[in-house]
Amino acid sequence: MLHSPVPSLTPQQRRRPALLLLLAALLLLAACNQPGQSAVASSGDGPIRVVTTVGMITDVVRHVGGERVQVIGLMGAGVDPHVYKATESDVSRLLNAQIIFYNGFFLEARMEDVFKQIADSKPAIAVGEALSVADRLASPQYAEHFDPHIWMDVKNWMVVAGKIRDELIAFDPAHAADYRTNAAVYLAQLQELEAWVQQQVATIPEERRVLVTAHDAFHYFAKGYDFEVFAPQGISTESEAGVEDIRRTIDIVVQRNIPAIFVETSVPPDVVEAIVEGAKARGHEIRIGGSLFSDAMGEEGTPEGTYIGMIRHNVETITSALWGE
Amino acid sequence: MDSLFDFLLLIFTDYTLRTVTLGAMILGLVSGLLGSFAVLRKQSLLGDAMSHAALPGVVIAFILTGSKAPLVLMLGALAAGWLGALLVQLVVDQTRIPQDSVLGIVLAVFFGVGLVLLTWVQRQGSANQSGLDTFLFGRAAALVMRDVWAMAGVGGAGLLLVGLFWKEFKLLSFDPDFAATLGFPVGLLNVLLTTLIVVAVVVGLQTVGVVLMSAMIVAPAAGARQWTDRLDRMVLLAALFGALAGMSGALISSLSRGLPTGPMVVLCASLLVGISLLFAPNRGLVGAWLRQQRNHRQLRRSAVLEALYGLALSHGDATHAHQLGAVRAAIPGVDVRRTLAALESDGLARGHGGDLWGLTPAGAEEAQRELHRFERHGLDELPTRPSSYPFSAEIDPAEVVK
Amino acid sequence: MKKQANGSLPIHIEDLTVAYREEPVLWDVDLDVPDGTLMAIVGPNGAGKSTLIKTILDLIQPAAGQVRIYDRPYSEQRSLVAYLPQRGSVDWDFPTNGLDVVMMGRYGHLGWLKRPGPTERRLALEALTKVGMQEYAARQISQLSGGQQQRVFLARALVQDAQIYLMDEPFQGVDATTEKAIITVLRELRAAGRTVVVVHHNLETVPEYFDHVLLLNVRVIAVGPVAEIFTPANLRRAYGGHVEFLLAKAEEPNPLPVQERTNGQSV
Repeated sequence: MLHSPVPSLTPQQRRRPALLLLLAALLLLAACNQPGQSAVASSGDGPIRVVTTVGMITDVVRHVGGERVQVIGLMGAGVDPHVYKATESDVSRLLNAQIIFYNGFFLEARMEDVFKQIADSKPAIAVGEALSVADRLASPQYAEHFDPHIWMDVKNWMVVAGKIRDELIAFDPAHAADYRTNAAVYLAQLQELEAWVQQQVATIPEERRVLVTAHDAFHYFAKGYDFEVFAPQGISTESEAGVEDIRRTIDIVVQRNIPAIFVETSVPPDVVEAIVEGAKARGHEIRIGGSLFSDAMGEEGTPEGTYIGMIRHNVETITSALWGE
Repeated sequence: MDSLFDFLLLIFTDYTLRTVTLGAMILGLVSGLLGSFAVLRKQSLLGDAMSHAALPGVVIAFILTGSKAPLVLMLGALAAGWLGALLVQLVVDQTRIPQDSVLGIVLAVFFGVGLVLLTWVQRQGSANQSGLDTFLFGRAAALVMRDVWAMAGVGGAGLLLVGLFWKEFKLLSFDPDFAATLGFPVGLLNVLLTTLIVVAVVVGLQTVGVVLMSAMIVAPAAGARQWTDRLDRMVLLAALFGALAGMSGALISSLSRGLPTGPMVVLCASLLVGISLLFAPNRGLVGAWLRQQRNHRQLRRSAVLEALYGLALSHGDATHAHQLGAVRAAIPGVDVRRTLAALESDGLARGHGGDLWGLTPAGAEEAQRELHRFERHGLDELPTRPSSYPFSAEIDPAEVVK
Repeated sequence: MKKQANGSLPIHIEDLTVAYREEPVLWDVDLDVPDGTLMAIVGPNGAGKSTLIKTILDLIQPAAGQVRIYDRPYSEQRSLVAYLPQRGSVDWDFPTNGLDVVMMGRYGHLGWLKRPGPTERRLALEALTKVGMQEYAARQISQLSGGQQQRVFLARALVQDAQIYLMDEPFQGVDATTEKAIITVLRELRAAGRTVVVVHHNLETVPEYFDHVLLLNVRVIAVGPVAEIFTPANLRRAYGGHVEFLLAKAEEPNPLPVQERTNGQSV
């Protein structure tokens, strides 16, 4: 077999540098595709771009900000914030925003890192921090952390509304008057809501004030309105209810003769159904009193799609279920 | 916690514990039994692939019907798993890609599609879509008797089919080409068997979830293989192991708050496999190691006996004692002192003080026997005169061998 | 038995072509296997020998051509043909014993759903005795040596009581004893009027064992009685250039029978 004196390139070898170049170009492109940091000034006449997480916060920001803000809420109806992972479009929305409001206390557990990084370039406010330490409840499972479900007590949410107003004023002093007016109106509505809730709850006899739900989201409700709460699952929906958790809940339900138990819109109902069956097997009839909004509000456009509507629905459902029998 | 007896009694009296334990046992039994065939056909990855492939089926079933009823979602899981299995078979038949690669690809692609669909559904904001992702990890503790009946029905049908087609499945698993030449429709049987495995996977999905289901298909069968060389015993044992893992997992998870049942079942199954791998009599590692140690001991003994005998022969007296160093020189690499001590306690050798060692008369006999042992093993038996061919007239062997 | 007495051939192959992709594995193969013969199929690696067997058995679909078993398609004549696959085609760690494997040969006669019973056991045990493996009937097959495994496979083929036997490298990797046992059985089959076709790898033993030979290398190089066909010229054509070693074997006078070559030990 003849060999040529100078080794010539095979077709594969000839293609190799081109491939490398292509690869390098792709990598460069990917790097360039990082959404750039936007350094947009707060002045200007356009509405402020605000990004929020759960619907309850979105609702407040819309009320307090009015026409001055353009709000995008990342988590809609029925979305579970404990396990929510930001997509790339979410991240670009966050980067494009001028101010961000989120709950904090690890409600949006999987987004904490994102918020920390973003806080370097723009205001990212954890509204839960507005609560005084005395008002915060410790998480039953994680001693160093707080229970994040603060919106269940309307009084807390009034504090949060005030915080949002103050932050908007700080960001956009030019329209401070608007924010103050809007906030005042909304706070008045919240005050009315609070009074109504207290009145409703008062109609339930004391021994009946036991709220059994799927996950442990109602401690602030319990504190604010003098209830007891039990739940087989922990504070976060990520935790799985074990056999013992369910059995204990059934024990409580049977011993305390509780007439109704509640499912949640953002949590699968099978745990609650298992409790109902288990109680039935012990001869105690318990029914599902209704569906509560815990981590998310109802569909947009419906009454339950607002914070006030959500609380009203919850309290009505709880009251009628526990009061009736 | 009261006594153990009271606790065990709870299995019967307490609804939740009873339901979860029964469900987990059925899961273990069915997946152990059907998984045996997957393991024997070198399709262990099939369980993993099928459970991951089921995810898009679950999500699409929800998207199409808007319902989260377990039966609806299970049917969706079944359809997707079945499609995945067919796709695997198709690609394996038509291309040169090896089966495990195809299983891996189908697993990844289907699961990826499922995740994309799931994320999309979750973002739709429909208030009803929560809970689809529980199919990922299972929710054993939330089983109700209705679910258990469904599992029992589906599982029972699968078991019945295995019983009916036992010899067909055995043949298919051992030698599919030969099965084809006997006239069995290998393709159809393949589909049937794969479908049964998909069914096992779907039944178990609600209990242990997508991610862990593959372990339940593989572990009980792998453990059972260690203990027996008969297919029927292996399959029954796998079913037993599975049921045992299910029961223990359920019970252990009920001991304390916050213990997830699915993973506990898988842990128990893994424990059974670990024990089987280590301690099974013939195939277990510990047994093999012990046998090897015993063999080495035997060899050392023989070597030392023969060495002493050989050395002693030059003196004409089989029991003549020699220095330890001389024995060592004769058989380098052997721990002579230890072996001599063992021989002494068996009465085959004697220390004469000052590192002198010699054989006893009994030892001399034993050494002689050892030296002639190779002559005892005859060659492999040659066939004797061919007996008459059973299916035709008698023939004269002399005529057969030219 | 559906054997036809009018002289139709056990196996008649016409224009058989098999191709996986662009490269053909078998090309335009014509073959007539005479009745009651011991025929060897030999050829270099990749010649298509196993493929030919598998195509006859409908395990591989040909691109062209046809196969006839006593003038009928194979699918109608299954019970007349027994298959002995290559030993490496199964996993011998499967949990089963020798008797069980041989009983599998009767599954075709049992049909769907029926379980093997005492009759099948008896037939299987007889077949195992025929190949000298009766003592290993209960032994797990992974504990058998290569030669013993091969004999179990042979017993499985025997128990089918077929008219035609197709065997893929039955002598591969076996010891002298097993080889003797196998060829003894094959000769008995021939004496009983059966037809045996064997893919064979050891050219040295072709003249001694077989009546007919097919030299195959994708195409048919030559086919016919061993004495006529097994020549240096044909071997050269089948194996390409490097056949000096093989030529020497082909030119040797008829090798000594096996008995005398084993140092006088009686058999």
